[in-house]
Amino acid sequence: MKKSKLALFILLFIFSFSLTFAGGKPEAEKQAPKLVRLTFYYPVGVAGPLARVINTYVEEFNNTNKGIEVVPVYSGDYDPTMQKVQTAVMGGNPPDIFIVEISELPTLLAMNAIEPLSKYATKEYLADFFPAFLENSYDEKGEIWGIPFQRSTPVFYWNKEHFKEAGLDPNKPPKTWQELKEYAKKLNQPGRFGVTISGGWNDWLFEAFCRQNGIELISYLKRKININDAKAIEALEFWVDLTHKEKVAPPHSTWASTPPDFVAGKTSMLYHSTGILSFLKNSAKFEFGVGFMPANVSYGAEVGGGNLHIGKGIPEANKQAAWKFIEFLTTPQMAARWSRDSGYVAVRMSSYDLPEMKEHTTKHPEYLVAKEQLKYAHGKMMTPVFQKVREILKTALDEATAGKIEPKAALDRAQKQTEQLLADWLKK
Amino acid sequence: MATKRQRFLRILIPYFYLSPSIIFLILFTYWPVINSVYLSLFRHSVLNPIPIFTWLGNYESILKEEIFPTVLKNTLIYAIGTIPFTMFLAFSLAVLINEKIGWLRNIYRVSMFYPTMIPMAAAGMLAVWLFNPGIGLVNYYLGKLGLKGPQWLYSMEWALPAIMITAIWKNFGYFMILFLAGLQNINKELYESSELEGAGFFQKLRFITIPLLGPTTVFVIIVGVITSFQVFDLVHIMTQGGPADQTNVIVYFIYQYAFRFWDIGKASALTVLFLIGLLTFIIMLVRNIERKVHYEV
Repeated sequence: MKKSKLALFILLFIFSFSLTFAGGKPEAEKQAPKLVRLTFYYPVGVAGPLARVINTYVEEFNNTNKGIEVVPVYSGDYDPTMQKVQTAVMGGNPPDIFIVEISELPTLLAMNAIEPLSKYATKEYLADFFPAFLENSYDEKGEIWGIPFQRSTPVFYWNKEHFKEAGLDPNKPPKTWQELKEYAKKLNQPGRFGVTISGGWNDWLFEAFCRQNGIELISYLKRKININDAKAIEALEFWVDLTHKEKVAPPHSTWASTPPDFVAGKTSMLYHSTGILSFLKNSAKFEFGVGFMPANVSYGAEVGGGNLHIGKGIPEANKQAAWKFIEFLTTPQMAARWSRDSGYVAVRMSSYDLPEMKEHTTKHPEYLVAKEQLKYAHGKMMTPVFQKVREILKTALDEATAGKIEPKAALDRAQKQTEQLLADWLKK
Repeated sequence: MATKRQRFLRILIPYFYLSPSIIFLILFTYWPVINSVYLSLFRHSVLNPIPIFTWLGNYESILKEEIFPTVLKNTLIYAIGTIPFTMFLAFSLAVLINEKIGWLRNIYRVSMFYPTMIPMAAAGMLAVWLFNPGIGLVNYYLGKLGLKGPQWLYSMEWALPAIMITAIWKNFGYFMILFLAGLQNINKELYESSELEGAGFFQKLRFITIPLLGPTTVFVIIVGVITSFQVFDLVHIMTQGGPADQTNVIVYFIYQYAFRFWDIGKASALTVLFLIGLLTFIIMLVRNIERKVHYEV
């Protein structure tokens, strides 16, 4: 009998315990608010060394700012980071500071996940950022929601030795689409492609080709989808020429494997992010060049990368502290240092006037290419649920480059699917 | 006096002992299942932050989804392509390894089981480089044999086969161990007496080993069906569903809707469809096979 009572008691205890877990919110608010503790979710494209770099920055900030402790949480790639932010927001416990891919802004706004920053960001502060980098920071009403941090553009790489073999001037990369095609035909060999337009983020590269052809694929501010515009179709037709008709480019590839392909001499020319420059410098056993992506109507590029955001609804003290941290990360000195450590473009214009940066760029002028190309660069396309739009677009591109579907039909379909998906948003 | 209470306790006590696992099952299995059914009836996504009741609207839009047939097709190809191969490989190797081949036996066992011990993510990363068409070892050795390797992960036709080959390599060791355990349970006397009757290797295989491995085989088939319909890791690491959704399988599709497109309604509806489909399939399978299986040893 005693035993049974004990058993019942334990049973009740277990039940009540699990109920507390399931339903009750532990209302233990931070009792001693002397120390403001901030969680900071950040992704880096290249794991390992860059994560360590960020942790060093955070440590320096914590040492010089008594009363604030930033806790860095390395959250993997861009996708997992966005997932962690979204689940945290839905759970009512957003991270104080986080970095996500720049096209996520409309989704973050739709989820009511971030704080407006116009209260903190002064005009003078913002005036020093490259304007193209800021384009993905504003909503339609002109409010600012994100501060550029790890930012890049796609650039063009070419293997100088292959150029010499093929009788081309190794210091003259193709300047136009036409030249690109001719060069690719000359460089193409069995077991080696003339050019590779990297897969995985090929939607991003395609956007650049569309810019070079004078069309904005998706306009966020005008709420307009131009995926099946004649100029976009022309850009895709050019891709299909390379991959399917001339067979001088692989129809598909993955983002991670094309830089090693280039290093192994399996492709002579490569479209990829400026972010792989350091990898190529360390791994390639041949001379290679870095340049603007060839032009058609004009030069053109899209910015890419991640912005810093402050989570919605965190306590006022945390907001203040979070902004302090953002300012710390984006001073001209820090932006320059981050650029040297990572290969990303420094987001502040004055970073490039600093003596240590000048020294760095005279020694390695190839790091300036992406910065120079910014003159022709624009904001990246963005919409709510952009990840779905991306998948729609990528499927269209992949099927077209494999010759399974005509470029026009592919983009017509993608246009229709995107318009259906965003019907409510486009109406407004 | 105490009988009533004792009887009551006799009924209750087992439930008490079961309570830890029941609580976890309810919290992490039954409740999510019921909740998915509930959520699947609402339009609820980033674009519709406030859930709207739509009845079967989500199911309807899934069936209209243009890539849904592709996803189903890929899942089926994956299942049909991997389960028989994995089982055949596992079974043959288990039979061979069960033979008395001296001290080498343990080395063979370990070496064949080792792919199973590699974490799935690491295996996927390995496969990405092995199947790289330009610099990968697979095409290098195919080239040595005078064959021109396909573009593997770079092509719409060969990306799924590359994942399937990786899965077979990764999973056969586990099935092999299951078969091996089954083989060890077979009474040796049966073999001895059949040998006296003059039975050869294949006759023993046909009339003793295969029938008596029935229960193990049923178990392996069921585990195989479930794991192959649930494949996610390899797809996520090797191709992210690409090129052009040619490697997009049902669980990856659910993941995309839930955690990338953040469409809770559709993701839940997909989960419910998946659950019903898999459950019916397993029940049908078990009913059909069970009848043919001998359980006595």
